[in-house]
Amino acid sequence: MAMASVAPAARRPGVCTEQDDPNELFARWRGDGDRTAHELLIRRFTPLARSLARRYAHTSEPFEDLLQVASLGLLKALARFDPERQSAFAAFAVPTILGELRRYFRDSTWGLHVPRELQERALAVSNAQEQLASVRGRAPTVSELAEYLELGYEEVLDGLLAGQAYEALPLDAPVRTHHEGEDLLTHLEALGSEDERYELIELDATLVPALRQLPVRERAILRMRFVEELSQAEIGRRAGISQMQVSRLLRRSLQQLRVLAHAHAEGS
Amino acid sequence: MPTLEPPNVRLRLTNQPENVSLIRTTLTGVAEAIDLPPAALDDITTAVTEAANNVVLHAYQGGHGPLEADIHIAEGLITVVVRDEGVGLHHALDYGLQAGETGEQHLELGLGVIQALAVSVEFDQRSGGGTEVRMEFANPSETLLLGANAHGELELPLCEGSELTAATIAITPARLARAVLPRLVCALAARASFSTDRLSDAQLLADLIAAQAFQSITGSHLGVGIAVGPRLLELRVGPLPSGQAGTAASVLGELAPVLGSLSDDHSFEEAGRTAVLALQLLDQR
Repeated sequence: MAMASVAPAARRPGVCTEQDDPNELFARWRGDGDRTAHELLIRRFTPLARSLARRYAHTSEPFEDLLQVASLGLLKALARFDPERQSAFAAFAVPTILGELRRYFRDSTWGLHVPRELQERALAVSNAQEQLASVRGRAPTVSELAEYLELGYEEVLDGLLAGQAYEALPLDAPVRTHHEGEDLLTHLEALGSEDERYELIELDATLVPALRQLPVRERAILRMRFVEELSQAEIGRRAGISQMQVSRLLRRSLQQLRVLAHAHAEGS
Repeated sequence: MPTLEPPNVRLRLTNQPENVSLIRTTLTGVAEAIDLPPAALDDITTAVTEAANNVVLHAYQGGHGPLEADIHIAEGLITVVVRDEGVGLHHALDYGLQAGETGEQHLELGLGVIQALAVSVEFDQRSGGGTEVRMEFANPSETLLLGANAHGELELPLCEGSELTAATIAITPARLARAVLPRLVCALAARASFSTDRLSDAQLLADLIAAQAFQSITGSHLGVGIAVGPRLLELRVGPLPSGQAGTAASVLGELAPVLGSLSDDHSFEEAGRTAVLALQLLDQR
């Protein structure tokens, strides 16, 4: 059977107009198996997926990944939408796409569900690190920690990494008396009272716009590490926090800085 | 045997006993990236550890040789292939399977563990020598790896460099690299007797490489060779387009001027049509 001869003009592939009624496209896709109609639906609603993905653009996830997740959500919404029972596709698609984005974030933030045992080990490693550092006057090695804690190499490493992971430990982790946020801010604001701008430029002139968007304490830590070239242990001593906390803050602010710097490079 | 798509991860090591833990570290990172439940990870690491121990203990009959692990992640299924280029495992395996209770007990036990934990397991003697153990495990995770669209034969990027190279990894997509690479680098920094403080610097560099390098590499897989010496770590990152000599920005992106200071030295090395960036870290305490 020759199909081409009966195809109406409106079905030419790639033609997408504002007038295209999504309901009609759904009927053509679902009823007639018209894949062009499916593509037109995807094209028509991709801007919606894009705008929803953009809501999460401030996070550390690359925008292309977010867009891919939102597009996946769009495909799912298209597959699940029932024109008989629901009236507007957009109203149905928004929660589906957002749900997909949220699931992506839930899945990628493993720090939210670190097993209790690992949290405790991370804490033990952190404490041992400080005790050994104060005895020896330098940060310990993993084998020194393993010996001190009578744990295996791998266990120490797991604890160390869990402690350094993004928010793997609660901010008000037990044992340590001070809270990361407050103390650090107090200490670092005192440290950061000199004229900062000059030093930021020294850090790297092209990064200044991005650096300006980071909070004071993050800037102070970056400056101490990369301008003054202090070790993480020294920064910890000055700021009254553990090296593990310095590590975590550095890791987080460098992630933020990377996203901001990338955004500036794109924009210019 | 069905041919598989190129793996998401190929980890190349040697058969030293301490390297088995690097496979576990890599699997832990994979589990983190795809939100694999702890029980599923335990099963996989236990079985894979047995397969790797067999390579360490039996494949080279006292000698040295490669120990390679491939990890394929698909919807519903995780496949791990442990490979060697020796003869020992195959002989020991034949012997063990035929001789039953008189076979090597450890090997017997290991194979039993693998068979109990994997959905399916196949043993294959490769034509060029060596043995491959292919284990399939259920993947209960609903997290899909977006962008894992590698096709064709995987060529491990030439990041091996010096004889100090302890591990070479090829990995895709970026999301997986972000979870695996920092862990692997930290494990090797620990082996290089880095203080925790310098180990964290190595982690920061690995974070940045995993986040940035996919924008510059010429293949589907990011390749990183990691060499370990006394208080020395060298990362060789590629494959990069050749002819960009002297720039770390291709791998480190906009933060290269800042993060560059974490490494003690870097160099750009041409290797045929591609190039690698070599970054050195020392712990000068």
